Amino acid sequence: MSVALANQTMWDNLSHGRPGFIRFGAYLGLILGAVGLAFYGSGGYDQKQYLFQLFSGQGLIWCGTGAIIGGLSSTVLSTLRPSITEAKIATNLVSWLDGAALLLLLTALLSQFEPPKSMISFDDQSNLFSGRVIMTMNIVFIFSAASYIAYLFAPEAFIGKLGTWAAWAGVYAGGSSLLLRWHESYLINTDIGHAPVSNLYEVFILLCCVTTVVYLTLERRYQAKAMGAFVMSLVAAAVFFDIWLASVGEASIKPLVPALQSYWMKIHVPMNFVGYGSFSVACGAGMAYLFRSRLESRGSKARVLAVMPSLDQLDQLAYKAVAIGFPAFTLATILGAAWASEAWGGYWSWDPKETWALIVWLTYGAYLHARVSHGWHGRALAWWAVAGFLVTLFCFLGVNMYLSGLHSYGRLS
Amino acid sequence: MNNLNESLKQVIARLGSMTLAVAILCVLAVASAIGTVLLQNQEQTDYLRQFGELWYWTFRSLGLFDMYHTWWFLTLLAFLMVSLAVCLWRNVPHMLKEMRTRKVAITDKSLKTFHHQHHWELADGADMADVKRLAEQGLSEWELMEAEKEGAVYLRGDKGRFHKWGYILAHSAVLIILIGGWISVHYGFRGNMSVPEGQSDNEIEFLRGTAVHHLKMPFRVRCNSFHIAFYPSGPPKEFRSNLSIIDHGKVVMTKDIIVNEPLKYKGVRIFQASFGDGGSAITLKLFNLDGSQKVQTVKTHVYQTWSDPKTGVSLEITNFRPFNIQNMAGPGEPKDFEDLGPAVEFIIRGPGLKPVKVKSYMNPFVYKGQNRGTLLEVSESGDGKDYQPFLLGLDLTNPKEWQLFHAFVHAAASVGGGNTQQERFKAFNAALKQVYGDKRPKDFQDLGVRLLQAMQSLPRIPWPYIPLLVDYDQVYYTGLQLTEDPGMNVVWTGSILLVLGLCIMFYMPHRKIWLVIRPAAKGLDIDAAGMTNRNTLGFEKEFQALMNKLNTIFEAHKST
Repeated sequence: MSVALANQTMWDNLSHGRPGFIRFGAYLGLILGAVGLAFYGSGGYDQKQYLFQLFSGQGLIWCGTGAIIGGLSSTVLSTLRPSITEAKIATNLVSWLDGAALLLLLTALLSQFEPPKSMISFDDQSNLFSGRVIMTMNIVFIFSAASYIAYLFAPEAFIGKLGTWAAWAGVYAGGSSLLLRWHESYLINTDIGHAPVSNLYEVFILLCCVTTVVYLTLERRYQAKAMGAFVMSLVAAAVFFDIWLASVGEASIKPLVPALQSYWMKIHVPMNFVGYGSFSVACGAGMAYLFRSRLESRGSKARVLAVMPSLDQLDQLAYKAVAIGFPAFTLATILGAAWASEAWGGYWSWDPKETWALIVWLTYGAYLHARVSHGWHGRALAWWAVAGFLVTLFCFLGVNMYLSGLHSYGRLS
Repeated sequence: MNNLNESLKQVIARLGSMTLAVAILCVLAVASAIGTVLLQNQEQTDYLRQFGELWYWTFRSLGLFDMYHTWWFLTLLAFLMVSLAVCLWRNVPHMLKEMRTRKVAITDKSLKTFHHQHHWELADGADMADVKRLAEQGLSEWELMEAEKEGAVYLRGDKGRFHKWGYILAHSAVLIILIGGWISVHYGFRGNMSVPEGQSDNEIEFLRGTAVHHLKMPFRVRCNSFHIAFYPSGPPKEFRSNLSIIDHGKVVMTKDIIVNEPLKYKGVRIFQASFGDGGSAITLKLFNLDGSQKVQTVKTHVYQTWSDPKTGVSLEITNFRPFNIQNMAGPGEPKDFEDLGPAVEFIIRGPGLKPVKVKSYMNPFVYKGQNRGTLLEVSESGDGKDYQPFLLGLDLTNPKEWQLFHAFVHAAASVGGGNTQQERFKAFNAALKQVYGDKRPKDFQDLGVRLLQAMQSLPRIPWPYIPLLVDYDQVYYTGLQLTEDPGMNVVWTGSILLVLGLCIMFYMPHRKIWLVIRPAAKGLDIDAAGMTNRNTLGFEKEFQALMNKLNTIFEAHKST
């Protein structure tokens, strides 16, 4: 058996060794600086003012000092103990932090295209720049899905790359559009300002981005390109839903109802979408499995079979996605319970949303038991991943549309 | 005795079985779903109307209207707890033992079964001790053990050796959370208290099944004030109550609460949950419709009933709202929210009258800058769900218009009944002169149109008078939720353990690796084998990288 050299790309090299480690230290210092500002900055912490504080001179001093100290200490550390530069936590996290920094830079750049403040009003939000960025995201995601589907029929490396690059572009467009909306909500009125996870339109953008990021991470690690057609089709469907929401006037920035005015919203909602996004990817892997097993059972000689992950790998990928989603979803549900106990007086009220979150949790819990303890594999579990996604879909969309309850602010009006 | 033991063992084995656990998970999921589709804890009459006699009683006997507290649902949860406990009790000692003992010198046969294998042959002059040292260097990140058997050296490396703790933590965490929930239900409470501004209360009420229960608190809560803030665009921004806690007759704490920011006293947390009218003082003017032009003033309060001994008509005041924000846009137009001002709601009853609910606005209805007169809304069903607007035409806040109406009726009668346009015109001029003298109001033409409207609408009113809201002194009640939850910290502990356990389970797989170095005819044979219980894809990469590393080390050794 030959030992194949793991193919390291340019990107992998960037996050290894001293440059990667020093960057990691600098990021860490920057984050600590921002946290320090929140706790000890002059004027104290105010949820509404913090963002402005962060981008003022004071914020620059805090974050800049943090970054310099972090960078310097990691330089010293890596000189003293060179082996520390390969620490898993640094090499794994630094590319994520790079991505986050790039996203922030992009947003800062795009925010220069906002109309002058006198032109921004609550009543007419059509001139806000985020709308155009979201439109870019829509187009790019749909293009990506189309490329991945084309890749199934014509598995040329170029077409696959096109899909991947478009997907990344979509993630950055979507991410920066959400950050822009955050900024815009404050431009409209500081009283209205809130994190962009408060209505269906915004969380669907988040869902598209999270699903794509989870998928792209798996794609890069496990060369699972042909799975993209399935995952990105789901993302494209979400994009079409978002376009429809915008067409019925659900896209505007609205002030928060009192129940949502809490820092918990910023934690609970995105965490939930890490779960939902991963479950969507698991569904994509499940569909890819069913597709491949169908082709194989027919004795097909399609070219795509050569580039597609094997049945065993697809099975593993679905599991992998659930393994990301399940702990994240568990944590998100617990965070939701913590918020509920602070806002409604009880951590559990059998509210439809809560109950369906429990049902989703039980569904994937049963999936994991069936797989790990009962040794189930293959088609049955692939179907389970698809069915589990339908339950998830009902939990975060169906409940809002058909059932009433404490979460009814996510409702379509 | 033995038999009993045997069957007990069998029962326990069944209870702890995975099949039962998965079955319980599935049944729980389905049962929970039923409770979300069927709205819980609604009015019994609504259920009866919705399902009809037969299904109402079937559902009710199954407890489906308060499903999550029925004996059978709780039994399901208890089953889950028992199953978890048995599962833990049976497996934990096993797992602990497995984590403690690690076999190093394993048989060739079991070595062959591993998924990941590699083989080297080091020729000539390779020294066992040297190679072993090199191998240990290559495996520096692994927790190593070594043993010798039949001349071969066995090296065993482990990573994530405590993986099984993940199972133990996650499963006991679920058990702990369920126990916490049980403590919450049995030793905690959660109920509502409505306190009008300026008053205090010490009793909460809550629903159990279909019955309302009451519970006394060890202190009183006084609501000093309640305030709503609005966004410029209309929707509410903040509900704020200023509360004082009174313990043994003394104010011990005064604090504001808003949604998401409760206060805590003696282990009881107090939340802002709702609000409503706390019995506002209401002044109504009753405009008599008997032609006498008389107006009488009535002072009452919300939730009180005023009755008129003369006519037998009564007004039950049900609600008062200082803001009534409504969408003024027609269908298809962009939404246009406007505040119609204060309004009072009452049910009007009387001999020969159909009881209806009425909403009387204090201000005249102004549409696109034009006064359209006083607005009433009438709900024929009496429950306020089918309000229909009823425009009087007259603006009753202006006493001159009330006078004008009567002057017009008289004048019309004197010129022949006001049946023709000409007569009406004449009568209108006469009435104007009588009421306003020579100073005609500027919008007199508009007034004329509204007067004609009043001639149509007022005779259609069956009541002896039109009640109009003229003054109010608003008092809110604040709807508080009071809870005590001794199980909460248990639940949080369980939650932390659950997340911790899941992270260990999913992200710290147990990886094992063996290197067996044995002397061969020429040089040394090295067999490597690895296995993992999770993340086989990731492990494949890791194994290959490790083999590469060892390869370079051995190659370098060979060349020296």
